[in-house]
Amino acid sequence: MAYPYVSDREVRVLSKYFGDPMQRRVDTYVERGGYQALKKAFEMGQDAVIDEVKASGLRGRGGAGFPAGLKWSFMPKQPTKPHYLLCNADESEPGTFKDRELLRWDPHQVIEGVLIASYAIRAKQAYIYCRGEFFETTQILAKALEDAYEKGYVGKDIMGSGNDIDITVHVGGGAYICGEETGLMNSLEGRRGQPRVKPPFPAAVGAFGMPSTVNNVETLSAVPHIVTHGGQWYRQWGTEKSPGTKLFCVSGHVNKPGNYELPLGFPLMDLINDVCGGMKDGKALKAVIPGGSSVPILDAQECADCNLDYEGVQTAGSMLGCASVIVMDEDTDIVKQVRRMVQFYAHESCGQCTPCREGSAWMLQILKRIEEGRGTEEDLQTMLDMSRQMTGTTICVLSDSVGAPVVSSINKFKDEYLALIRRGERVGVA
Amino acid sequence: MSDTPSNTITLTIDGREVSVPKGTTLLKAAKQVGKDVPHYCYHDGLSSPAQCRLCLVEVEGAPKPMPACVTQAMDGQVVSTESEAALDMREGVLEFYLVNHPLDCPICDMSGECNLQDYVHAEGRDHGRSREPKRIFGRDDFGGDVLYYGDRCVMCTRCVRFMREVEQDGRLTVVERGNRSVIDTFFDRGLEGTQFSGNVVDLCPVGALVSKDFLYKARAWDLDHTPSICPSCSQGCNIELHTRDNLVQRLKPRENLEVNAFWMCDHGRLNYEWINHGDRLEAPLVREGDTVRAMGWKEALTALLQRLGDAAEKGVKVVASPLAPNEDLAALKALVEDLGGGEIVFRMPRAEDEIVLKGFPTMARRRDLAPNGRGAELLGMRRVGEDDGTGGLEGVSGHDGVVIVLGDALADQGPDFAAGSALLVYLGTHSGPAAAAADFVLPVTTFAEQEGTFTNHEGRVQRFWPALSAPGAARPAWLVLGALFAERTQSDSIRKADDAFARLVATHGAFAGLTYDDIGTRGALVSDTVPLSGD
Amino acid sequence: MSDVPFKNPGWAGNTGEYDLTEDQVRGDEFVGTRPIEGGHPSGSASYPYMLPDKDPEAPLFEGPYKDRFEKILTRYPNKQAALLPTLGLAQEVRGHVSPHTMDGVAELLGLSPAYVRGVATFYTMYNKRPVGRFLIQVCTNISCNLCGADDVMGAFLRYTDTELGETSEDGYFTVVEAECLAACGFPTCVQINSRYYENVTPADVPKIVEHLKAEGAGGD
Repeated sequence: MAYPYVSDREVRVLSKYFGDPMQRRVDTYVERGGYQALKKAFEMGQDAVIDEVKASGLRGRGGAGFPAGLKWSFMPKQPTKPHYLLCNADESEPGTFKDRELLRWDPHQVIEGVLIASYAIRAKQAYIYCRGEFFETTQILAKALEDAYEKGYVGKDIMGSGNDIDITVHVGGGAYICGEETGLMNSLEGRRGQPRVKPPFPAAVGAFGMPSTVNNVETLSAVPHIVTHGGQWYRQWGTEKSPGTKLFCVSGHVNKPGNYELPLGFPLMDLINDVCGGMKDGKALKAVIPGGSSVPILDAQECADCNLDYEGVQTAGSMLGCASVIVMDEDTDIVKQVRRMVQFYAHESCGQCTPCREGSAWMLQILKRIEEGRGTEEDLQTMLDMSRQMTGTTICVLSDSVGAPVVSSINKFKDEYLALIRRGERVGVA
Repeated sequence: MSDTPSNTITLTIDGREVSVPKGTTLLKAAKQVGKDVPHYCYHDGLSSPAQCRLCLVEVEGAPKPMPACVTQAMDGQVVSTESEAALDMREGVLEFYLVNHPLDCPICDMSGECNLQDYVHAEGRDHGRSREPKRIFGRDDFGGDVLYYGDRCVMCTRCVRFMREVEQDGRLTVVERGNRSVIDTFFDRGLEGTQFSGNVVDLCPVGALVSKDFLYKARAWDLDHTPSICPSCSQGCNIELHTRDNLVQRLKPRENLEVNAFWMCDHGRLNYEWINHGDRLEAPLVREGDTVRAMGWKEALTALLQRLGDAAEKGVKVVASPLAPNEDLAALKALVEDLGGGEIVFRMPRAEDEIVLKGFPTMARRRDLAPNGRGAELLGMRRVGEDDGTGGLEGVSGHDGVVIVLGDALADQGPDFAAGSALLVYLGTHSGPAAAAADFVLPVTTFAEQEGTFTNHEGRVQRFWPALSAPGAARPAWLVLGALFAERTQSDSIRKADDAFARLVATHGAFAGLTYDDIGTRGALVSDTVPLSGD
Repeated sequence: MSDVPFKNPGWAGNTGEYDLTEDQVRGDEFVGTRPIEGGHPSGSASYPYMLPDKDPEAPLFEGPYKDRFEKILTRYPNKQAALLPTLGLAQEVRGHVSPHTMDGVAELLGLSPAYVRGVATFYTMYNKRPVGRFLIQVCTNISCNLCGADDVMGAFLRYTDTELGETSEDGYFTVVEAECLAACGFPTCVQINSRYYENVTPADVPKIVEHLKAEGAGGD
C-alpha cells in the first residue's frame, strides 16, 4: 500500500490506513480493533477519559496548540443544559490538507474520536462541521456514519452502555473564517460565520448558547489511540511540551509532497531533504512557511536548526500552527507569494473588525502596486505600521495572519521589495 | 444594584481612581473619570459586538488591548485610555476608516456632527497615507425616510442591530463580507411600512444613513437644539427641536429611559410641518358688527372683560384642546370657574391601533394622537367626539351664553358654530372656522414657542422649552387667560410659566408636590393614576 | 462514473506509486451514490451535489428533496441552523441562489429575507447568479501557486474560451479562482462541480475540457 508517498521515518498512528479504502468500511474498521476505545472509554468514565487525555499532553491540532484534555475539563461536570461537541473539519488554511485525508481515508477513526470526546464532555449531540467544498469527503463520512449508526456505535444506547450520542454532518458554505471556533459556531447556527467576542468562552456559552467544545479532526483522531494505549504511551513520541505524532502537510518545491506523520520535534531539514526526497530539481532552499500561511516566513538560515514542535518553531521565529510546511526554492518570487496570501486574507476577512476589513484590502492594494513596479520605500514602512496596528487589535486572529507574512518578508527579503520598487523607478512607472 | 462595598470595585483609569458597581464596562467607568473613549459600534440601546475596535484601551497585565465597550471593570485594574499604545491603535483604526471613506464632508448632511470628523480631528493622523483609488458603492434608497450612502459607511452595524433587536423587523442586513461588506435591504424590498426605521439615521455615527426629509436642508452647525416633547401622541417621547431661521428643521429623539429610551417613531418624527405653518394668527381680532378689527392686547382684553361678565350669566361652555399644555388648561379652568363654572370638553383623534416598539415595549405610538389628553382629564375635562377628532360639539354649538374655544380650530364645524351664543371667544394659533365665527380671536403660541408641560399617557408630567419666537403678538394662552383672571379677581397676574404651573399644583391634587425643578428634563409622575377613559 | 482519458481522476496522489483504481477509491462499495432523499438523517446535510443540469424554476422542495429537507430539520435545535444546508439544497436543485430562492428559503425557515441574503452572500459557495454546466474552480493559493497554478488557470480560460468569472457562450463553463482547496500536496487542485481534479498541469487542461464537453453533450 502506498499513499502517495511514505517514508520509513514516519510513525503512522493516525495515518496507518491512508490509501486503503477498505478502512472506510465499518466491518474492516472493527476487525482492525475499531470502536474498542469507545467501549473502554465508557468503562473508564468521563473523568478518567479526560485525565488520560490530559496525561497524554495532546495539544489541539487546529493551529493554536491548546491542550485538549484541559479544554474538555472546562466543560461543566453536572450538565444543566445540553452540551455540544463540534468537530472542526472546515480545513482551509492554505498549505493544510490533513483533515480531508483523515476524513476520507479513516472516517470511523474520526467518528470514534468524536464519540469519545462527546462522552467525556457529556454531550449527547455532536456536529462534524465539514468544509462545503469537501463533497467527496462528506459523502464518505456520511456513509461511514450511516454504517456506524446501523451497527449501533452511534445513536441510542451505544453498545448497550446506556449512552446516547448523535452525530450530524454539517456542511459549510465556503468561508475560511468558519474554521475559527466561534465563527464555526455562528455558521452552524445559520448565521454569517463571524467570530464572536470572547469571553464568554465556548465552554460556558457556545453553540446555540450552550456549553460547547470545538476540536480539530486530527485532535479527535488521536483520541481513540490515547484511550486504548494510555497517555504515557502517546508520550513516547515528541517532546516534553509537544508530545505525540503530528501530520505534517508538505507542499511546494519538494520532490515528494504529501502528508507525513512524524513525531513532534522532527528536524525541518530532515523533513525536506530526507522524508520529502529533497528540493525539486535540486534547487536551493529559499524560505519555508512552517505552519500554514498565517505564520511568519522562515528564511533558509532559520530553517537550518528548526525542530518541528510548538516550542522549536517558535524559537526559530515562527509558529507550528497546523504543521503545514510550505517549501519555496531559490526562484520563488516572495513578493508575489506574499501578495497572494494577503489576497486570500482580504478575500476571507469577515468584515466585522475595522483593522482587518480595511487593512487587509489596503495591504493588498499596496502589494499589487509594488508588484507592478509602482511602489515606494515609504510603502514598506506603511505596511509595517499597518501590521502592528492589525495585530492583537481584532476579535479573532485573521488580522494578525495578514501581518505575519508581510512583516517577516519585509524583514527577511527586503531586497526583493526594493528591487521591484527600483525597477519601477528606473522605467518611470512610479 | 445597591452600592454595598461587595458590589463595588475600584480601579484606576488614566491615573485616577474610580469606584463603580460590579459589571460596569470600562467604557462607562472611563466616562466617570471624564474620558469619553471613542466608539462606533457600541450604543447604550443595542447589543455590543465590539467590532469597530475603536474603543481599544490598554489594561495592565492583559496580553492584548481590550475593547472598553464589553470588557468588565475588575477590582484593582489599571487602565490607560491614552497611553502611547492605545493612541497608536486608535490612530491605526482611524486611518483604516479613511482608506475608503470619501472626504465629501462639504456635501454630507452629517458634517459638523460626525463622529469620524471629531475622532480623526482629535486622534487621527495629520495626513492619510493611502494612495489607492477608493472603493465605490454609491447611493441606495432604502425606502421610508432613509437614504444610504455606502461609501461613507463605517460598518458599525448599529442600524442592522436596531432593526433586528429593537424594531424586530429584520429588514436590514450586512451583505457580502470583508471590505465588500455593505448594508442593504432585501433587494428592492426596503423599509416601507416600518414604523421606527427613522432611528437608524440617528444611530448612524457618520453620514451613511441620512434622512430624505432633511437632505441638504441645513448644516448641523446652524441648528439650534431645544429639548421638547413630541406632540404627536400621548407617549410623550422626549425630543429635541432642531431649528434654524425660526423654523423647525427636524425632530430628534432625546434620551429618556423611562419613556422612549433613545427612540421615536417615524409618525412623530415627520409630523412637524404644522408647527412651521405661515398662516398664523398674529394679533387680537375683535368683531364689531360686520367688521373685524385688529387691536392691541390691552384694548382687546379690556373690551372682552366688559362683555364677559354679563354674557356668562347664561352659563359658560368650553372646548379645550389636548395639544394645549397643562398651564394653559389650568388657567382656562380657573377663569371658567371664576365665571361661574361650566363644562369643559375636548376632542382628540384616536388611531385604530397602538404601534408598539417590540424591543422596548413600554414605548408605542399610542392611540391618542395628542400629547396632553391625560392632562386635560386630570383637570376634569371631558372627552367628546369621534375617533377622527370631529363632532361631539352639539351642546356647545347650541349654547346661548359664553363659549370659549382654546386651541381647537374646529375644522369640522361650519361658520354658524355657536351662532346663538352671547359671546364666542377663540384662543388659537391658526385661522379656521373657529376664528371666523368668534367675537374675540386671541392669538396664542404653539408648544414650540412657549415653556410648559404635557402629561403623558401614564401620568408623567414633562417639560418643554421654547424653540421659536412667537409670531406677531401671539402670547402663551396661560398668560392671556391668567391676565383675564387677574383682572376679574383683582389678584396678581402670573408672569412666568413656572408660576402658572405652581398655581395648577396648588389647585389640583393630582399634581401635588411637583415643581419645575423636580420635573427637570426627565419628567415626574403625578400622584393620581386614574386610567384614561377608553383604556 | 465514466472513464477519464487522463490522470488526476480525482483522488489524492496519482503519482505513480499509487495503485488504486477509481472504483476502489470512490466506487459503490465504499461510498456509493448517496440517495437524493438523504439516507440516514445524520448525513442528510452532507451535500450538495453540484449538478450539471440545473432548473432555476424547480420547486423548494418536492419529492425526495422534501424528504431530505425534513430530515435536515430534525438534526438541529432550531430552524435557523438549517439555513446553510437548505441553501445548499436549493442550489442543488436550482443551480444558483437567486433573490427568488432566498425569499423561498426564508419562508421555509421562518427567517427574514434580508437575513437570508446576508447569510447567503457571506459564503462563496452559493452562486448568486447562474453559472455554466461546469463550474471550474482553480486553486491559485500559495501551494498550488508555487507549482504553477497561474498557468493552469490560464489554460482553463484559453481552452474554455471565457473570461474569469464569466460563462462561456455555449453555457458549459464558468471558470473562477478558488482559495486553498486543501489538496496542497497535489497541486494544482481544480474543483469542477463537486469533484476534485488533482495534480493538474496545463497540459492536462485540454483533455479535461474535451472530456467535460463530451460528458455535458451526453447528458452526464
